[in-house]
Amino acid sequence: MNRYELPKKFDYKNVNLLKKFITETGKIIPARVTGITSSKQRKITRYIKIARFLALIPYTDTHK
Amino acid sequence: MKKYEAVLILNPNLSAKVNSFLKEFESILKKNSFSIKKTEDIGRRQLSYSINNHNKGHYVIFNIEGDASRLIDIENKIKFNELIIRHLFIAVKEHQVEDSELLLDAKNKKSDVKDIDEKEHTQKEKEDDYKDE
Repeated sequence: MNRYELPKKFDYKNVNLLKKFITETGKIIPARVTGITSSKQRKITRYIKIARFLALIPYTDTHK
Repeated sequence: MKKYEAVLILNPNLSAKVNSFLKEFESILKKNSFSIKKTEDIGRRQLSYSINNHNKGHYVIFNIEGDASRLIDIENKIKFNELIIRHLFIAVKEHQVEDSELLLDAKNKKSDVKDIDEKEHTQKEKEDDYKDE
């Protein structure tokens, strides 16, 4: 089973999907681990950064 | 004309003022010849980290369409509003027609609470039935 499967359309609001692509400490999992296409990895990265700004997902696990 | 999504995180302590503020915001949009395609009032949600000492935020998402130059005016108008603890305008290629996952999540949580309530009620009723017997 590949845990990094992606639907056709997704954006920064698909929080549960984006959470699969960050580690426990909140870092973005690298493409060499996720194994998805590079264009999709770029999208995921962009959406994770938007979602972080909107406090939907954390930047780190040690927020003040 | 460009398509945008406006995400506003409002102060959860001022929930009573939300409706009047949203009307005000809509009128600002209309004055700047923006058209509103869809409004999603997601409601209170736990923030992943505290913003200005708030742990919860009232999320509202607007799907809007209008001119980029006017957008700056709108941003300047809402920038210093104390009700907003964070805002973001993003350009999108296509507006999402169906409900977003955030809204569905919020709805599910509400229905969960309702389900639990209903279950408790039915259980109590059953217990009452047993008592009768």
